[in-house]
Amino acid sequence: MNTVMSRPKFLSFRIYEKYKKIVVVFILIVLLFVFGATTLPNFLSVEQVFMTIKLASFTALFALCQMIVIAGGGSGLDLSVGYTATITAVLTASIMDGKNEPLLLAVLIALALGVMIGLANGVLTSYLKLPPLVVTLAMADILQGIVNAYVAGKAITGRPSPILVTIAAKFTGKFPNILFVLILVTSITMIILNKTKWGQILFGVGANERTAYLSGINVKKVRCITFTVSGVLSSLMGLLLLGNMGIAFKDMGSNYVLPSIAAVVIGGVSLAGGEGNYLGVILGAIFLQTLTNLLIAFGLGDAGKWLGFGIILFAMLSAYASNRRSR
Amino acid sequence: MNEVSKTGNVFYTFKGLLLKPEVSSFLIFIIMFVITATLQESFFTIKSIVRNINAFTPLILLAMGQAVVIVAGGLDLSSGAALSLFTCVLTTVMKRNDPVTGIYAILVTFAVAILVGMVNGVGIGYLRIPPVIVTFATSYMWLGIALFLRPTPGGESVDWFRAFYKIDAVAGAPAVLKTIGTFIPPALVLLIIGCLLWFIISKTRTGRYIYAVGSNIESAYVSGIDTARTQMLACIINSVFIFLAALFFVGQNQSGDARMGGPLTLKSIAAVVVGGISLTGGRGSVYFALLGALTLSFVNKIIFFANIPNAYQTLVSGIIIIVAIAGPAYVMFSKPKQ
Repeated sequence: MNTVMSRPKFLSFRIYEKYKKIVVVFILIVLLFVFGATTLPNFLSVEQVFMTIKLASFTALFALCQMIVIAGGGSGLDLSVGYTATITAVLTASIMDGKNEPLLLAVLIALALGVMIGLANGVLTSYLKLPPLVVTLAMADILQGIVNAYVAGKAITGRPSPILVTIAAKFTGKFPNILFVLILVTSITMIILNKTKWGQILFGVGANERTAYLSGINVKKVRCITFTVSGVLSSLMGLLLLGNMGIAFKDMGSNYVLPSIAAVVIGGVSLAGGEGNYLGVILGAIFLQTLTNLLIAFGLGDAGKWLGFGIILFAMLSAYASNRRSR
Repeated sequence: MNEVSKTGNVFYTFKGLLLKPEVSSFLIFIIMFVITATLQESFFTIKSIVRNINAFTPLILLAMGQAVVIVAGGLDLSSGAALSLFTCVLTTVMKRNDPVTGIYAILVTFAVAILVGMVNGVGIGYLRIPPVIVTFATSYMWLGIALFLRPTPGGESVDWFRAFYKIDAVAGAPAVLKTIGTFIPPALVLLIIGCLLWFIISKTRTGRYIYAVGSNIESAYVSGIDTARTQMLACIINSVFIFLAALFFVGQNQSGDARMGGPLTLKSIAAVVVGGISLTGGRGSVYFALLGALTLSFVNKIIFFANIPNAYQTLVSGIIIIVAIAGPAYVMFSKPKQ
């Protein structure tokens, strides 16, 4: 009786919590834009806003990989996302070489690489029970090492195929094409996470490993799959990054690792696992990009960017942690 | 039960012994030591011993600091960035022609070190944010501050700071010190200071609390231990170890570099794991981090002797770390169920 009574209340509380964080992020973004608009000319022009959203889309897509792994719980975290993208971009650039025909081959290679890397992460973390952080950090080292060895002594040749450039870099009118990709990915993610049993299984495993296990869910398999999905998605992100930048280089993806985690945290997703709201994460990515733009516009450069990111991340973590603290 | 295992099959006793993390990490250390000693012809000369100690010291100090945090149930992903930050602070405060500034620099950097430890400690202990995430965030704060101080590697250092690396190199150092310095390198002194520091702390109440908090934070809290304060102290101890490493680094290079320490973070964690210390906290001896760091350093030397091109070294060290962590886990899980 009691449980039945309390259930709707519990649900509405969760929905309230969910939207509260999104509203907070939204207000923060608006504040940043207001601040930017009053201090800098052209900050609020349509082009500038769309440019911000375009750049944020890449962070948001990387953050999706991160969110899926984090939602699976078990202190899951994938620090190899950016490096997976780099290795895919570097290896496929010479295959495509500016032509459309080899694109299919490039996509297949990206998928194979993503599955391999993601599966390796997943098996090591879930079946051998190694800490995800150390495994994915070491994986990042290995991938960067392969890239270093591959590029050692020669230039990376090749350009992305025109289709990729159109998808990742071009605009339709003032509307960046990558935004269509983001909208498509968002819809698919929302449907899978909220309307299918896969989403329930994922959140169930993240929220309470033991309960999920006792309900007959193969916890290890689910977590292994989250890492594989993350590997595949970040590998495909390598193609998009290549399309956007036009050339491949040694550390094109590594700069996305911290922002991808930061976007998830700012988006209000608990790092303990068991929840995930991709809309919040996208807002988190936009917030980070706006902040970066402001810091760069004020001429603070790399130092200001990393310091700003670090402080914001720390502040957000402290703010969200205080909700959860019991003593 | 004990009787049976004593008089019974010797093999099982042996396997049981091997499953103890300390024993297996000590055996791996011995193996790597022997391989390195056979590969390097001049291994046992004083010159090469001194050179090896100099090469291994930063990682050993970082690994011991990391071990303290890990035993307390935390993890520090910012240790490499903190090391870079300390070198930048040291070389910013120092002025080449004014020897007194060296002392100011040490004092200022020590204060910064305490502050860095406190920030990490507040995040891990008081706010109870997952250690991985909070130190990941702080690592970018340290990187940012270090880049503000020193956008490109460089900076000034007073001449006597070389004493932290090589007493010979200091003009006007007493002859007695120079003679001692050829046998006992300053790096070894820093290591002994580090070991003494932990020896003293481990004998105090704080040392016991660190283990108690790491093995079971709830029961430690219920037993009246201030768990947050204990974890913060662990972070501060870690910071002091990193500070010692920074002194050595500036002594050696006479400059600061905002991106120098990054790769050391993962290595320090790997060294702790290789040393048989549990990443879940509360178990393992901090001194074994020293052993783990030595093992990793020997492995690096073996890679060097194997003539592997420079470009492959990141790759090889990444694979070694995975193997080093996965190996013990594999042995543990292949253990027959009781």
